[in-house]
Amino acid sequence: MKLSKKVVLLGHFGVGKTSLFRRFVDNEFSEDYKVTLGVQIKKKVIEMPDGRELSMIIWDTEGHTEIEDTRKSYLLGSNAFIYVFDLTRIDTYKDLNKDLAYLAKNHPKVTIKVIGNKLDLVNEKETLSKFKEQNIVVDCLTSAKTNKNVQDFFLDLANEITA
Amino acid sequence: MTYQEERLLFNQKTQCTVVHHDGKIKETDANIFKWKVGTSIYDAHPFFEILNSFIEIFEKEETTYSFPCIHLEDEKIEKICDITLKVNAQEVIILLFDYSTKYHELNKIAQQKNESILKSKELELKNQYLLEKEKFKNSFISNINHEIRTPLTSILGFVEVLEKTKLSFEQEELARIIKRQSLHLNSLIEDMVDIAKIESGKIKIVDERFLFINLMEGFKETYSKLAEDKGIQFETYIDPNIQEYLIGDRTRVFQILNNILNNAFKFTEEGKISLSVTKNYQRTNKLSINFKIEDTGLGIQAENLENIFERFTRFNEDKQVSGTGLGLAIVKDLVDLLRGEIKVTSQPDQGTTFDIKLPFKFEITKSAPEKKKKKYSLPESKKKFRILVVEDEESTQFLIMKVLISHGSFFVDVAINGEEAVSYLERRNYDLVLMDLKLSKVDGYQATHIIRNNYGDKVISEVPIIGFTAKATEAERDKCLRSGMDDFITKPFEQEDLIYKIVKQIAKKAAL
Ligand SMILES: Nc1nc2c(ncn2[C@@H]2O[C@H](COP(=O)(O)OP(=O)(O)O)[C@@H](O)[C@H]2O)c(=O)[nH]1
Ligand SMILES: [Mg+2]
Repeated sequence: MKLSKKVVLLGHFGVGKTSLFRRFVDNEFSEDYKVTLGVQIKKKVIEMPDGRELSMIIWDTEGHTEIEDTRKSYLLGSNAFIYVFDLTRIDTYKDLNKDLAYLAKNHPKVTIKVIGNKLDLVNEKETLSKFKEQNIVVDCLTSAKTNKNVQDFFLDLANEITA
Repeated sequence: MTYQEERLLFNQKTQCTVVHHDGKIKETDANIFKWKVGTSIYDAHPFFEILNSFIEIFEKEETTYSFPCIHLEDEKIEKICDITLKVNAQEVIILLFDYSTKYHELNKIAQQKNESILKSKELELKNQYLLEKEKFKNSFISNINHEIRTPLTSILGFVEVLEKTKLSFEQEELARIIKRQSLHLNSLIEDMVDIAKIESGKIKIVDERFLFINLMEGFKETYSKLAEDKGIQFETYIDPNIQEYLIGDRTRVFQILNNILNNAFKFTEEGKISLSVTKNYQRTNKLSINFKIEDTGLGIQAENLENIFERFTRFNEDKQVSGTGLGLAIVKDLVDLLRGEIKVTSQPDQGTTFDIKLPFKFEITKSAPEKKKKKYSLPESKKKFRILVVEDEESTQFLIMKVLISHGSFFVDVAINGEEAVSYLERRNYDLVLMDLKLSKVDGYQATHIIRNNYGDKVISEVPIIGFTAKATEAERDKCLRSGMDDFITKPFEQEDLIYKIVKQIAKKAAL
């Protein structure tokens, strides 16, 4: 059977969801901000180390300040949520733990990953120690702009959700 | 509601498609997308892969799922649709409602709204960053100032000592250069500290009564001499209607005018410089004075005139003309602090004119005579006077010792902290204590407190004490005097100044 997994990008607007999506799928990046309305969906076929092919169906959502405002139907049938926040804007991660709890409660079977994006704008070491202090757990720090950690993140995720 | 009814309800372009559970298209009206019967819906758009998961969990009842605002596209068209999926035992009905127009309008609004939020956040971030940097810079400057002043004191002091030794002509010249450069460095530090203080709001404007006419005469005297040396003219006019005594911040007024005059002299090689001081207006006890400083110097290009009050702007690349590039920025800051106004006009190669308006107050009652800087001399009762220097830095110790010893009237002992100082005082009679304030163990203030309060023996408890510090702040001065010191001197000091203060205190004590 064909292997297909649905992954949803979540998080406030302007954090770089669309940029990560475009970087991973088409290897493109633009400085211009273009609002995402509703959802854009793209498929990326990934060759797994064991030879299988995975169709990763990525849903890039518009992003809301309140996680509860996300349309419920967008989240249906998901295998993973990627919660993206902007490392330079504290209000995009101040409710992180609350939002993650909400997602975990309503979608207990879905893998949840947290990305801090725009790594190119901050000092990595300082940021990590700050997060440690504030009890914020991040799975990956990325830069859609420089492509840092983007491919690796998605490939690791692919492995995890097909294991 | 059947899909046909729904189609009627929304007067939108709709498409109805029926697919088998394996994804094969059974029928479609191809109203929007030209899908073909028999092909797989999964190939039409990745959105439809979601069907898989719904079919997997399907049990018995027909289930409806609706998805608003989904971007769908094929090679030819792009639409933003609301999609309804009805999953039943046999098939899946897919309804597309094309709301592209409506969504594109919404898109514009959202774009504007989000963009403005992102922009303002970006600005906020930048401002915050700048503020933090500014704050760091200011505290950095005041701290580094302290660290630089102490060695600079030694350099300046030793050069003065060096100048008094037998030097060859060449050595003399070199010593002069060292001195000039060190003094320049010193003024640069002072300028930076001033700027940092102004920016962090630490400069307090004081209202003191002072002999205005004296201040002006001082300028006249100093700069007439300079003009003579340079072979240019210096003219002054002081409006006789201005009160002798004014109330204002004498130090800042001096700093402002001195800076501008200094500049005028720096950039004028021939011709004339004039200072004219006139009364602008007077109301009850307030008056505004206009200071006009005109020169026939190099002048400033029009395009440079705009930024002249900004930091580190120097338009003259002439290496002969020294300056920190901070002077005019400080002047502007100070004029603002005093709630005055400053204007500059200039013609290249013709000269520059600064117009400064400053507000003052005056006492309506008759003015009292002013205290002059009194001359003091050491009492004749003794040949030599014993001074205790409390200082932990070797180079400064050494320097003070040299200055005092070469004066010829003093014996000097050195203690390296407050504790040691107290034990010295217990053992010997001293005529004066020079006390550094930043000491290990017992600091200068504490030591002074102990000396003043813990001894019945007046020789100890009333010994004159002069505080000695690298921090030239008002607060520091107050702290010294409050802790019981008689006077205060800042590093780096002028040798003359140090001697004057020592002699003054000893003379005062003897006169009691
Ligand atoms: N410097 C930097 N800018 C980024 C990065 N990712 C996204 N951006 C910019 O952030 C803005 C918002 O990005 P976007 O992907 O539209 O955010 P979304 O609303 O979460 O989809 C755009 O102007 C991007 O160019 C990044 O990693 N570094
Ligand atoms: Mg987006």
